[in-house]
Amino acid sequence: MTTPPDDERTGLPGLRSWGRVYWLVFWIFVAWVALLAALTRIYS
Amino acid sequence: MGCAAGRPYPDIFVNAVDYIILIGTLLGIAAYAIWGTKGRQDLKTYLKGSGTTGWLTIGLSVMATQASAVTFLSTPGQGYESGLGFVQNYFGAPLALIVIAAVFVPIYRGLKVYTAYEYLGHRFDPKTRLLGAGFFLLQRGIGAGLTIYAPAIVLSTVMGWRLDATIVCSGLLVVVYTVAGGCDAVNLTQKYQIGIIFAGMIAAFFVLLAKLPAGLTFTDSLALAGGFHKLEAVDFSLNVDRRYTLWTGVLGGMFLALSYFGTDQSQVQRYLSGTSLRESRLGLMFNAVFKIPMQFFILLLGVLIFVFYQFERAPVIFDRAAWNYQVAHGSGARLHALEGDFDRAHAEERQQLQSWLEARHSGNRTAEAAARAASAAAHDRAEAARTETGRVLRAGNPRTANDADYVFITFILDHLPHGLIGLLVTSFFAAALSSKAGELNALGSTTTVDIYRHLVKRDGDDAHYVAASKWFTALWGLLAIAFALFANLSENLIQAVNILGSVFYGVVLGIFLVAFFLKRVGGTAVFWSALAAQALVFALRLTNISYLWYIVIGCAACIAFSMILQAAIGSGKPGAAPAAP
Repeated sequence: MTTPPDDERTGLPGLRSWGRVYWLVFWIFVAWVALLAALTRIYS
Repeated sequence: MGCAAGRPYPDIFVNAVDYIILIGTLLGIAAYAIWGTKGRQDLKTYLKGSGTTGWLTIGLSVMATQASAVTFLSTPGQGYESGLGFVQNYFGAPLALIVIAAVFVPIYRGLKVYTAYEYLGHRFDPKTRLLGAGFFLLQRGIGAGLTIYAPAIVLSTVMGWRLDATIVCSGLLVVVYTVAGGCDAVNLTQKYQIGIIFAGMIAAFFVLLAKLPAGLTFTDSLALAGGFHKLEAVDFSLNVDRRYTLWTGVLGGMFLALSYFGTDQSQVQRYLSGTSLRESRLGLMFNAVFKIPMQFFILLLGVLIFVFYQFERAPVIFDRAAWNYQVAHGSGARLHALEGDFDRAHAEERQQLQSWLEARHSGNRTAEAAARAASAAAHDRAEAARTETGRVLRAGNPRTANDADYVFITFILDHLPHGLIGLLVTSFFAAALSSKAGELNALGSTTTVDIYRHLVKRDGDDAHYVAASKWFTALWGLLAIAFALFANLSENLIQAVNILGSVFYGVVLGIFLVAFFLKRVGGTAVFWSALAAQALVFALRLTNISYLWYIVIGCAACIAFSMILQAAIGSGKPGAAPAAP
């Protein structure tokens, strides 16, 4: 297995590939939309 | 001081402490930027920074470039008037930023370009590069005028300053430090400016919470706001006539963010200044995570100001200068009659809301529902009087700005303590300067690299191009100031900025997507297709379609036309394949 170049390292604990970083950011986005949808539903 | 005779807000007093905070902070940051970037004369450092910028600085710089004074001045007014729905406009941003980090940034960095449009020259041909740069210069040149004008018109009105003096002073300050320090000065100042902005907004939020009536909890406030439809943050409706829905937000917002963060040089320049690809990507992911909560927070501030004014004596119109002008020019009787209607309805509404609060706390659901219905009816009458007042003001003076833009600044000046007033006004100016600096820096870079070095003088040395870049930056700054001095807006400020971007962004994004993903399409096909797609977008301005769809349609049209035209003219000379990172 080859070592990725420095630019490919994320430097984030538990998130060794950029694909994982993007998925994490995507799920944070989904969580925000879900929370806002819940707020809308509760107070409408 | 700050309370000149004859000014529109004679009851507002901005004292020496506020002025010291305002002037000291703005001049201090500008001086620090000039001192900190002294003696940098090579073109790469001037246009792309010293190459030592970390992800947090990039992230804050990207955020500060996008979040202009309009964001902080006008968005709470949007929350006050229309609730949280505007947050959907930002739903596409995280998705777009992921695509940009994964696809766009490695290509830009791999080619070591100074501007995004330089890449179009590599991929297509010089005319397509010039077209991309031309669209950017046209749209961002106008946008730069708006970023000065928008806060200046509101701040000068409420502070009693001359509008032209406010525009010229704030404009010249940003021109001086951007010209002197280039990209690094912009990044350096934006970091501190965004810190001041956040400090001001958070302080305003907690003071607002403390000023809510005794007995009204945060949950009560949300329930009250929800009763007036202010907490409808997500709208699943498929109606294309609605401006903000989940779908326009995700799809339209994603295309808007893709084009803005991915192809607008004012943003590309920020993340190309990173030490490495990693720093650029993490800076963008920082924005992907925090953009939605930031906008939500600013809108929520506006919603809570709405709640606050349900228990306080609210003005029938927040733009008191416009009110005073019409009272003095023959509409006084009509306006005072409307104010009387508003005051009576608002007093009844306050009374009913007190009853609602007591019923809610005592658990009497029947009384709670009755009080809520009565307060809603009174609120409708108050809003009708307010709407009619706005109509009378606009009929008398079409230059009257959208009243929502005055909500937050009026609250600050009427209800916040001295010192904090200075901090908030400083925040607005810091936001104006930070976004303006990013725009000027990009306009100067694009003019130098894509126009001057490419068309006029190809054999100059670094010192020559740095000097040229400084002259072009100064020239764009002066043009923006001149535009601001003659501007006239009737739209809500933040929407005006977004609409302007939407008209051009779709086609520019289409050009870049063709460049990245359609290897067989060449420069001639994409050039003429882009012009045809832009004509189509101009035609859409005559329809009722929401401006968020312009980008989707413009982008799709540019891509489709390019494929059809390339097929029609044959293989000819397809563009070179995109460079690998």
